[in-house]
Order: sequence, then structure tokens, then C-alpha cells
Amino acid sequence: MECEIDERWKLVDRIAEETVTYGDGKTTLKDAIAELTVKPLTGLPIALAVLYGFWSFFSAFAGFFTDGFFVRLFDNHWLPWLQGVFPGKGSWYYFILVGDPAAGNSFEAFGMLTSGLFVAIGIVLPAITAFYLYLIILEDSGYMPRLAVLIDTLLHKIGLHGFAIVPMILSLGCNVPGVAATRTLQTKKQRFMMITLLAIFIPCGAQLGVIFSLIPEFAGIILLYLLIGFIFFGFILHKVIPGKSPEILIDIPPYRTPSLENVSKKLWVRTKGFFTTAIPFVLLGVGLVNVLYLGGVIDWLAEALGPLLTTWFGVPKETVGPLVAGFLRKDLAVAQLSAIEMTKYQLISSVVLVNLYFPCIATFIMMMKEGSERGVRGVLEILGGSLLVLATVLFIWGGLLHLIWIMMGVA
Amino acid sequence: MDENMKDKIGGLYFGVFGIVVFLVGILEIGLGVLNKTVHFGPLIFSGYFMLWRGAILFFAGIFYLLSVKKFSDVHQKAKAMVASIMIWIIAGTQIFSIILDSIIGDGSRWFNTWEGFLSSYAPPYIPSIILLPFTLVVAYYVLSNKDTDEKNEMIE
Amino acid sequence: MKLLLIGHPNVGKSVLFNRLTGANVTESNYPGTTVDYTKGYMQIDGEEVELIDVPGTFSLDPKDKAEEVAVKMLKDNEDSIVICVIDSTKIERGLYLALEIIEMGYPVVIALNMWDVAKDKDIEIDLQRLRELLGVPVVPTIAVSGWGVKELVSKIKDAKPRDISKIESKVEGTS
Ligand SMILES: Nc1nc2c(ncn2[C@@H]2O[C@H](COP(=O)(O)OP(=O)(O)OP(=O)(O)O)[C@@H](O)[C@H]2O)c(=O)[nH]1
Ligand SMILES: [Mg+2]
Repeated sequence: MECEIDERWKLVDRIAEETVTYGDGKTTLKDAIAELTVKPLTGLPIALAVLYGFWSFFSAFAGFFTDGFFVRLFDNHWLPWLQGVFPGKGSWYYFILVGDPAAGNSFEAFGMLTSGLFVAIGIVLPAITAFYLYLIILEDSGYMPRLAVLIDTLLHKIGLHGFAIVPMILSLGCNVPGVAATRTLQTKKQRFMMITLLAIFIPCGAQLGVIFSLIPEFAGIILLYLLIGFIFFGFILHKVIPGKSPEILIDIPPYRTPSLENVSKKLWVRTKGFFTTAIPFVLLGVGLVNVLYLGGVIDWLAEALGPLLTTWFGVPKETVGPLVAGFLRKDLAVAQLSAIEMTKYQLISSVVLVNLYFPCIATFIMMMKEGSERGVRGVLEILGGSLLVLATVLFIWGGLLHLIWIMMGVA
Repeated sequence: MDENMKDKIGGLYFGVFGIVVFLVGILEIGLGVLNKTVHFGPLIFSGYFMLWRGAILFFAGIFYLLSVKKFSDVHQKAKAMVASIMIWIIAGTQIFSIILDSIIGDGSRWFNTWEGFLSSYAPPYIPSIILLPFTLVVAYYVLSNKDTDEKNEMIE
Repeated sequence: MKLLLIGHPNVGKSVLFNRLTGANVTESNYPGTTVDYTKGYMQIDGEEVELIDVPGTFSLDPKDKAEEVAVKMLKDNEDSIVICVIDSTKIERGLYLALEIIEMGYPVVIALNMWDVAKDKDIEIDLQRLRELLGVPVVPTIAVSGWGVKELVSKIKDAKPRDISKIESKVEGTS
């Protein structure tokens, strides 16, 4: 076998020798820039600028559509109209569909057609459009794999090896393609680790978008806490899980100018996907929580889980509703949390909790699919394993934040 | 122009410009830490992310200064190029946000009035926008670099 | 007739696939964009032909799940013609994979993609000689602009299984 490979390479070399002549191999400006973007000393400031670009672009774009347009549309026109014409004030279906009849803005009405539509279209849609646009440009220009190499170099410096950065960055758009991207990893251990870590720690684009739009002042601390958790538990999983995690060598492509055609095509495909898969789930999430409210389930849950939530995690028991909604859509959960009255520390804690506690249903299904190639056992392994890790992480990392607040004297 | 001469001038230009960018960066970092707003002619130092912008300018300034020595080398030009791109990112997104802000009206008005629209574009600006035109020199060097490459090819 | 697009990651298989079938498979500038196969259809001389976009693979000895899919597609479609997509700037490793596929007895057409990038880097490839040595159709392409794609399609019918020992003796004979 070895010999065969050698012989084939020999043949390749002979053919290439005869047919290919390389130019003088002069470094082009692109190559020189490429080098600067992956070396930590120069790469980090560049990454800082790229990140700033994202933030600044995102704020302008989402602010324009959400505050400049949708807030007015929903609060000044849609909500008053709906509250006026919708029959059966005080009935169960009014509560489910429109929500609070006295609400002054769509956000706090909590009905499917008010909060649900507003969160889905008014907040999340502009947010993910901005987010995807930036991510697609990073993908198509070739910066993304370089950012991956840069991060990988830094992780090596703190002793972490074999992490797959590309699936992580993709997960920032949506966890589902992130999970799919782990197929390019070589060992079972690596795939399991990455799927688990990204499902727990990496917030998706929609969720990030809501965080950036509604509580931008806490975005930094929330993400930092998740990042540290990612690294910490990544390190532990790496030690605990048997198996190998070989180095991941990324074949870095050259820089290319993204084509308008491809960028707009991809943006369209992804936004369309959002319309067909996410919006129904957001509406369903609002509906589900409202139905559970009416059935008394939420109150019952709040009482049952109240002690755990308040003493261990340090968040008010009213967060139960959003936490339930989070099973369907985490973006919705974050939006609902920001409408609940609590201290900013509790808000930070509860948003962190939403992030940690359960992959959204789409990611969950994707994880099952990944396991299913190895039959029932594969599914059980990946789900059982991930959920076990998840529960542990949730308690440790969620509780620790509470402890930090206590030590700071703010909880 | 003589290539050598051109690159010398380029080095000198980016040396001076680099110092300016570097100092502006430090100023922004300082004012950002103190959380102060300062007007200065057409310039304004303020805003949420001044600290962040300052840090980027700080590094961009250093990159320019690093590029100065032996400016004829592509590796050196690349540093000036990257520094300029960093400034373009700040200024570009800021201009984008000015444009979007100019469209939206206030109160219950969907769109801005004509006067409101125009006045959105009046100064003061953040420093990076003022620095922007001065970074365009790098484009000249990069493009002319390409030209000479092509000429060389033809000679071959 | 069935066609398979096989090649290393990030060589432009998906771009080619979209161009040929009008599909909307994701194209991105990093390796590992495609991790599952996609089927599409195209017309060649009025005949409907199935074309399959496959995850990139470095060799036929799969190292990960995406590569497994690629190798599996090859094994499951033994009657297909393989369009072997090669990055012209990294021609050696592409040829290696192509030889592997030829050895397995598949009729192969080679698309030397990224021809524009190779030109930019002053890489010169003697197409005539390459065709002679390999004995399979070799077509330079630029998938993003569509240049050469028509010729590639016209050469698909010329693909025939090629005995690897013939290639070996050709190469020996000339040196
Ligand atoms: N300049 C140039 N760029 C190309 C050409 N063909 C493809 N590209 C670019 O190369 C990148 C990769 O293209 P894809 O089609 O996604 O590559 P792929 O082979 O499907 O990659 P995997 O799915 O990872 O296996 C994209 O950014 C394309 O725009 C070409 O002929 N010339
Ligand atoms: Mg592909």
C-alpha cells in the first residue's frame, strides 16, 4: 500500500515536471496581506478592526430597520389597529394571539401577532440580515479561515490543541450548519466535543442579534463569560473524553473579492430559510408559552423551579416563561427576558442561562441526525453525552455567575 | 517618476501620516477612558465606541510607521495597505450609519425632511472620516505597483 | 448517464455544479463548505444527465465523514463518469487524486479550474502534453466566470476508462 502511494506520487511528479512551469514566485500584495492577517502580532489588531466593523455595521443596519421603521410600524399602526378590531377582549384566544389588551407597545404585549411578529420580523429579521451579510463577506473573501488560524494559534499558546474553529465561526450564524461542519473532523472525540461545546456555548446569529439590539450594553460581558466557559470546559472535555484529537490543518485559500452575485444569492437563501423555518417557530413559541400560562403550567413551573432559579442561579422565577420559549427559539427567549423586570445582573445571568441550557430544537434535531448514522446507539451516545455535559455545565457555569454577583455584593 | 524616488516619498508620507494616526488613536483612547466628548473644529471625539476606535487607530498608526523602512518592498506596502483598510472600516461603517440616519425622520415622520437630510451630513465628524482621504494615497502606490509589474512582464 | 464532481476541498466544485445545473448549492471561500452530496440535472445533447456535487476529498482513503461521503458516492455510482476538478495552482495533488480515480477504472474528464489564478501566478501548464500523457480530456476552466465550461461539457462524451499502466509507459517512454 505504502509503496503504491509512493509510486503514484512519483508518477505525478514526473507528469508535473514535464507539463508545469512555475513563475518566479514573487510575493504579491495579496500574499503579503495574507501573511499579516494570520500572524498574531499584526493579526489581532486587524481582527479588532474587523470586529469593530461588524459591530458598527450591525448597529447602523439593525437600528435603521428596527428603531427607524419596524418599531413605528408595529407600535403606532399595527398594535392599536389590532387592539381595536380584534374581537373577544379578555378571552383566551385574545390572550394567545394579541396578549395584553392594555399594552402600549408591541414588544410587551406578549401575543403571537404582537410580540411574536414584532420579535420575528421587527428585531430578528434585520439583525440576522446584517449578521449574515457580514459573515458571508468574511466567508467569501477568505478572511474566515485566516481568523480561524489566528484563533487556533492563540489557543495553542494557552495549551489548547485540536479545536475546530471553522465550525465555531459558522455556528455564530446558526448552530445547525455549525454541527454539519463538524463532519470534516477526523475523530469521534473531536466531533463530539465540538458539537457539544458549540451547542452549549455558541449563541446563534438570531440570538446574538437580539442581544445586540435589545441589551447591547451587556453583550460584551455575556459573550466574554461564554467564551471563557467555552475554553474552560473545552479544556476539561479534552482531558476527560477518551480518544485522540489530532491537529486540524486548515488549507488556507487565497483572498478573493466576494462577488455581488454570490453574496446576494447566499443572503437571499439564508433569509428565505429564516422566513420558512424561524418565523413559524417564534410564533409557535409565543403561542406555546401563552397556552401554558392559561393552563397554569407556567405558574406551576415557576413555583416548582422557583427555589432552584432564585437560590442557585439567582434569577427571578418569572423567567420560567422565556426559558420554556427558549426550547423553540432562543432569540425569542432573550427578547422576552429583556421585557421582564429585574436587575441588570439578573438579566445577564438569565441570558447566559438561556444560552447554556438547551440547544434550540433545530440544533437538537441536527445533533440527532449526526448521531443517527451510527444507529440508535449513535443517537443515544451523542444526545446522552451532550445532555450530560450540558446539565453539568449549566449548573456549574450558571451557578458560578451567581456566586460572582454575590461576591461583588450585587445579587 | 523614478521608482526609487517614488518609494522614498511614499515612505516619508506614511511616516508623517502614521504619527498623526497614532496620536489621534492615543487621544481617542484617552478621551474614551475618561468618557469625555470634545469638539474641535470639524472634529468630534465622542461616542460609544471611541475607545475601540482609538485602539484601532493606535495600531494602524504603528503599522504605518512599521511600513516606512524600505517602502519599496511589498511586505512593507502591505502594512500600509492593511492600516488603511483598518481606517476604511471605521470610516466606512460610520459613513454608512450617517447615510442611514439621514433617511429616517424623527417623531412620527417616516422619512426625513430635505433640510434634515442635508444637515445630517454636516460636520463634525469622527477623526477617521477626516483621515480617510489621506489614506487613499496607498491606493496610488498599490495600483502603480501593479502597473510596473505588468510592464515588467511585457519586457520579459 | 451519471456525472460525479470530485476534487479537493475549495477547488470550485460547487460553483461548477451551480453553473451546470442552475442549482443553489452554497459556495464559499474556505475548504469544507460542502459536507453532503447534492444531485442536480443538466442537458447534454438533449439527453438528461444526473450530476452530483460531492464534498471535497484529499484522497480516496477517507479521513473524515465528509470525505467518506465522497468516496461512498464514487463506490455507489460505478457506472458514472467523473469530472475531476483540480485547482490549477496546486496541480500535483489534484493529479494524484485524478490518478487514483483513473486507476479505479472510472472514465475521467479533468477540469483545470482556477485557470485565472494560475495565470496571475505565472504558472504555465502545457495542456497538449498533459492530454497526451494522461490520455484523458483536460479542459482549463474558470468556474466563476463560466469560461471553458462549455468545452468541458463537450468533452464529457470523450471520457473513456484509461489503463494506468499506459500512462506509466507514456511517461517512461518520453524521459
Ligand atoms: N478566481 C477563481 N475563483 C474560483 C474559481 N472557481 C471557484 N472559485 C472560488 O473558489 C471558492 C470555492 O468554491 P466552491 O465551489 O465553494 O468550492 P468546493 O470545491 O465546492 O469546495 P468544498 O465544498 O469545500 O469541497 C469560492 O470562493 C469560489 O468563488 C475560479 O475558476 N477562479
Ligand atoms: Mg462545495
